[in-house]
Amino acid sequence: MLHKCVALKSDALTEFGVCSKDLSVSILMSLTCVSFQACHSETHIGQYYTLPSAHIRTLFPSGLPWRYQQQVKTFNEACIMVRQPSLEVISYLKKTDYSKPALRYLFYGQKGTGKTISLCHAVHFCYTQGWLVLHIPDAHQWVKNCKELLPSSYNASRFDQPLQATTWLRNFRLTNERFLSKIKTKHRYMWTKREFTEEGSLLGELVDQGISRVKSSSDVVGAVMKELRLQSGQPGSDFHLAVAVDGVNGLWGRSTIKKEDKSVDPEELTLIYNLRKLMRNDWTGGAIIATLSQTGSLYTPKSAYLPQELLGERGFDSMDPFIPVSVPNYSEKEFESCCLYYMDRHWLQHPQSRTEEGKKELVFLSNKNPSMLDRICGFL
Amino acid sequence: MASRTSKTFLSLGRINIPLLGFNKPSGKATYATALSINSSSGNKGLPDRGGRGPFVRRPRREAGEPRTGKMPVDQDWTAVYPSAAPFRPGSVPLPLRMGYPVKGGIPPEKKGNLELIKIPNFLHLTPAAIKKHCEALKPFCTEWPSALETDTKCDEHFPIKLESKEYVSAGPSLRNPSARIVHLTVKLSSLNLDDHARKKMIKLLGERYCKNTDVLTIKTDSCPLRQQNYDYAMYLLTVLYHESWKTEAWEAEKTVADMEDYSWEDSPSQKNILDVLLRMKVAGEGDGEEVRQQLLGRKDVQDYKDSVTRLKNEGESESSMLQYKEAVKKVFNM
Repeated sequence: MLHKCVALKSDALTEFGVCSKDLSVSILMSLTCVSFQACHSETHIGQYYTLPSAHIRTLFPSGLPWRYQQQVKTFNEACIMVRQPSLEVISYLKKTDYSKPALRYLFYGQKGTGKTISLCHAVHFCYTQGWLVLHIPDAHQWVKNCKELLPSSYNASRFDQPLQATTWLRNFRLTNERFLSKIKTKHRYMWTKREFTEEGSLLGELVDQGISRVKSSSDVVGAVMKELRLQSGQPGSDFHLAVAVDGVNGLWGRSTIKKEDKSVDPEELTLIYNLRKLMRNDWTGGAIIATLSQTGSLYTPKSAYLPQELLGERGFDSMDPFIPVSVPNYSEKEFESCCLYYMDRHWLQHPQSRTEEGKKELVFLSNKNPSMLDRICGFL
Repeated sequence: MASRTSKTFLSLGRINIPLLGFNKPSGKATYATALSINSSSGNKGLPDRGGRGPFVRRPRREAGEPRTGKMPVDQDWTAVYPSAAPFRPGSVPLPLRMGYPVKGGIPPEKKGNLELIKIPNFLHLTPAAIKKHCEALKPFCTEWPSALETDTKCDEHFPIKLESKEYVSAGPSLRNPSARIVHLTVKLSSLNLDDHARKKMIKLLGERYCKNTDVLTIKTDSCPLRQQNYDYAMYLLTVLYHESWKTEAWEAEKTVADMEDYSWEDSPSQKNILDVLLRMKVAGEGDGEEVRQQLLGRKDVQDYKDSVTRLKNEGESESSMLQYKEAVKKVFNM
């Protein structure tokens, strides 16, 4: 195993050269492994694997957590720790039956335990397997801080959000470049009296239409979702659809967008309405992975982290049946691995942080919570 | 009345103060130390005593050791405090401190501590004193019935419990208006109620019902006499019982939101799972009623139903989430 890892990445040798002599052999394997089939099994829990930087640019233009993006910039590499929750979901994804309705996997856990990173890990797996990834980085962004709200051209009772829709379409185009010229639309879409998209035109054209004509971008998003939903799993199509939503509890919560001093219900927003339709498991040939997040959510108590608390009655009934995957704080082994990684990257500069006493202090201060540990180590 | 008396006190106070102020210089002279006696012989300031001699204060006895120092450990405490009495620092052999501490200091000691004297104390009600009271009262008591040995037997024979308080105090009037309050407690399980009656009763009771102990508490204080409040409480209980057995026409409009417990039948969860299972099965079996019944009868669907009911009724926890996860995995054969 060790040899395979060395062979796969050439600068792994330089990593081993950099490692200090007091690291034991088993911990040396905590560094870099690129191939997935080799590196995604139970024995690899606690070890880090590197995401290629090209993938980061295309797959996660805005999907990674802010602090993690800063870390990637500082360390000049993106390493994710292999942990139990994401391994579990990846094993289920490997076994998906494409003729059955899409299964829903939900990451839940307390604040800062690594739900978004687990989601990104699973999404990266889908990407490397050649699936089409429909990633919504944060559903909460669509229900708050909306600068422009237009009445929808398609349905008079709903509202459009052109800015958010165009941003999302741009990211979608960046991520799924190769599918845009392969998938063809099955319906005809009329945007205005003179503009329309014919049946059988490429998905890429549809997306470009949305980006150039900002006013109808929300409807384009709806059309894209509908097309992908209808075509995935059908005998003629050759792609699998992975829908990844972060902060899925925002879809069924409340919103702070106000239209003429009246609060807008999320259901009246086109983007949310279409996304909710996508989350139903009435389509086949893929999977839906989501996380719950209290951090961005509106009008929820800070201590809420269990699915029913955050999703509410309606959300739970819509998502039911789903497979909840709990994301806990680091275990002993994972904590050790994280500390070793920081030491290897020379992030922990304080001399006492390398001692046993220092490690015990870190355990006490952070309670083995990944984000707390990250913040504390930033000062050392 | 009260306001008038307070004004007189205030006025008295105001009258007093100038007097005190007037007295102060002479007062200070009077409370000077004992050395003033021999300060000056032939002092022209002192009044003429007619040849009897200089003014000598009655010699003051030194205060002896307080009683606390002489108390043996096995003394009879009931003799020290036989009845309610204010706190006497010399009689209580405890190192008590009470009061707000000075900055950087500790609470003041018990000697001369007004705070300890102001508060009520129960030094006259130690267990030994209570025992003596019980012994004194025993000749006047009758035997406890032998058939009512345990609490459960008492509940069985006397399910309705009534509580009221008696107040004894010395004052202008012996009556106390708080003595009219009556508390009636009864366990709902001891009443003969069927399912619908029980749910309706709980809805009617609202705040008066405690779910954990299954106890209904009715507190009545609207009438001036205890007898009347007791009658009213019994009347309320009777009316509640009979009303909850009746079914009104408008009760048929009860919606899902009114239900106390979550029932899985006809819930969105059941619809979802049946929908998914039907789609998962190869189309060819048809969509008939018996297919639905067959699906509902499967073991994993029953497990799923139990886990969802548990989640909704009992609230969430890690264990109920795990149970739900296992049930879903089994339904989807993972």
